[in-house]
Amino acid sequence: MAMLQSMFEIVRDNWLLLLVGQYPNGPLGGISATIILSVLGIALAFPLSVLMALAALSPWRALRWPVTAIVYVTRGVPLLLIILWVYFVLPVLIGQSVPAFTTMLVTLVGYEAAFLSEIVRAGIQALPKGQTDAARALGHSHLGAMRYVILPQALFNMIPSILSQFVSTVKETTLGYIINVPELTFAAGQINNRLLTKPFEVYFILAISYYVVCWSLTLVISVVERRIAARRTSSLTAAASALPATPASASGT
Amino acid sequence: MKGFDLMAVLLNPEFSRMLVHGVKMTFIIFIGSWLLAMSLGMVLVAVRMLPSRIADGLVAIYVSYHRNVPTLVQLMLWYFGISSLLPDSMQMWLSDHNGESVFAIIALGLCQAAYFSEDQRSGLRGVPAGQWEAARALGHSYLGAMAYILLPQAIRNAMPALVNHTVSLFKNSSLAMAIGVAELTHAVKEVENQSFRPFETYLIATLVYLVCSLLLMWLGHTLEQRSRMAGAA
Amino acid sequence: MSNAIPAGEAAPMIQFVAVHKFFGSLAALTDINAEVKKGEVVVVCGPSGSGKSTLIRTVNRLEQIQSGSVLFQGRDVHAKLRSSALNHLRSRIGFVFQSFNLFPHLSALDNVMLSPMKVNGVKRSDAREAALRLLDRVGLSAKAQNYPAQLSGGQQQRVAIARALAMEPPAMLFDEPTSALDPEMVGEVLSVMRTLARDGMTMMCVTHEMNFARDVADRVWFMDAGKVLETAAPGDFFRSPQHPRAKRFLSDLHTR
Repeated sequence: MAMLQSMFEIVRDNWLLLLVGQYPNGPLGGISATIILSVLGIALAFPLSVLMALAALSPWRALRWPVTAIVYVTRGVPLLLIILWVYFVLPVLIGQSVPAFTTMLVTLVGYEAAFLSEIVRAGIQALPKGQTDAARALGHSHLGAMRYVILPQALFNMIPSILSQFVSTVKETTLGYIINVPELTFAAGQINNRLLTKPFEVYFILAISYYVVCWSLTLVISVVERRIAARRTSSLTAAASALPATPASASGT
Repeated sequence: MKGFDLMAVLLNPEFSRMLVHGVKMTFIIFIGSWLLAMSLGMVLVAVRMLPSRIADGLVAIYVSYHRNVPTLVQLMLWYFGISSLLPDSMQMWLSDHNGESVFAIIALGLCQAAYFSEDQRSGLRGVPAGQWEAARALGHSYLGAMAYILLPQAIRNAMPALVNHTVSLFKNSSLAMAIGVAELTHAVKEVENQSFRPFETYLIATLVYLVCSLLLMWLGHTLEQRSRMAGAA
Repeated sequence: MSNAIPAGEAAPMIQFVAVHKFFGSLAALTDINAEVKKGEVVVVCGPSGSGKSTLIRTVNRLEQIQSGSVLFQGRDVHAKLRSSALNHLRSRIGFVFQSFNLFPHLSALDNVMLSPMKVNGVKRSDAREAALRLLDRVGLSAKAQNYPAQLSGGQQQRVAIARALAMEPPAMLFDEPTSALDPEMVGEVLSVMRTLARDGMTMMCVTHEMNFARDVADRVWFMDAGKVLETAAPGDFFRSPQHPRAKRFLSDLHTR
């Protein structure tokens, strides 16, 4: 129909903007920015989340309580409000203005780390206690047992959940729109402001683009899940396989 | 930066009015979309159980769309996109009658219904097949077996996930600010603009959200404990 | 509803007429012709995979059949029935499962009370009274308020028997009722079943408990590979089985 045709025209006329934003006449934007934000966000959040998970499981209150508090706050406050906080606090802390992209990245790293830490923690706790016992009996220290025995297994099992969190991160990058981060949703907004007469087509294209990206990622996740399940049944016990392989994304946006 | 002064924000009648209104709108959006999501979720599960593969496929597409498209984009598609497709008279009526809130409730409700229906579905699948057989062997009809034996167990199974998603929905109400709904986060930005006290304003909003989320989680936890089948794993 | 035999005093309670059942291309039941008379206790035994459970599950249509008929009190169970008629028929046949299948969200008392109330329309107070009496009959009145997860396997199975009895069925079917129990609990369940038999209940039991069969059964049906190969009184069956496979089955049992 006519709508389909106008959608093609919009994509044809604006594909560069959607792809890379206003680069090189401005910062990198569009879908490239979305992908870079998501990948960097998860990549930086991951090591942080492992540290947080270990802290949450440690026997020292001084480590446990702050981390548990951070996780609760992150789970209880909307991401949008957290973005506003960081947008305000970060320049004050550093003493100079911070571009929106960086603000968004910092927010995402912190936010994802909190959620990931819960996933990692669940993964560690799902391993049978016998693993820790065996490692300690062989003389490993607590951290040594973690590093060589527990974490490798836990993290492997948690790959589907971590990937699932990655999909959530992609969806969460859209919130950068509020502070004018030049990612895909922002680009679509720009196009709509220019065209004004075809909002449905523009936003439908936006929805479909995200759908394709996230759906493909979800497909990858199921393939990975199956591979892991096949490996799992040989070595690990019912306790580990009782965990849902992909919990509905913890942050749920 | 001015010194920390919470009262300057709280006691100012204009600001507190805006914040209170914001909290009110947040709850309207939350409760409206929750009711829509819960009921639609149950309908979706029921439809999925029909012997038709088309029905199953349609619901699967519905769920897939709402889980893979970011919620903010869904909101925008509804408010900017679909509203433009409506006849002019309807558009005018909507803009006079809090159209943003209506679209926000619809968008958030439909999105969350996908999650709720999946939770309810897993809950049902978690009931062992033997239960169904025992119910039928005793002579219960399909509806009777569902009502007295399967659904009570399915709901208990699904509760943790449903509670989690309810809290998500509550937090997602903040997204409605992007389409102009004057809920709490929107109010916070307005107050901050006018009072030049971002720290105090954000703190108030953070506390409100935090307390409400924790309350919801606690409520859910209590419900789970109460309804847990005594001694069950 | 087709009546193959006029339902009279001498009419068999359960009747299998040329019953065939397939799972895909696998023949699960082949040309079963047998009957259980009113007040009879029939034990069905045989090696695993012989089709014993499948057979008993055709009586209340938990399994479908491809040809032949299964009659309960003269009524064809597998005829084209309205769902209300099928539900009513099922409520008249007591069934006890190997895995008990108690409803975990209800107490023992509620498990027993639920179906008389919701299926038969019995008043709550009457249902409660009857349920307490039944729990007492199976020796579990002290556990009325407990939930299944708090009961041992033997106790759960006894509650399951009470639950089935609560519907006041003219016949009870038992599908390996003690196979999932620890050995020390088998006795308590068998003792309930013995009492039922002694009180004149029509029973069809799939079981491996040969002593029970010897003491309580009126007839033993031996099945192998989907066929009923031999039916005899227990004394005759256990002393001098006729069919070669029955002989082998019994000698395998003894050499364990």
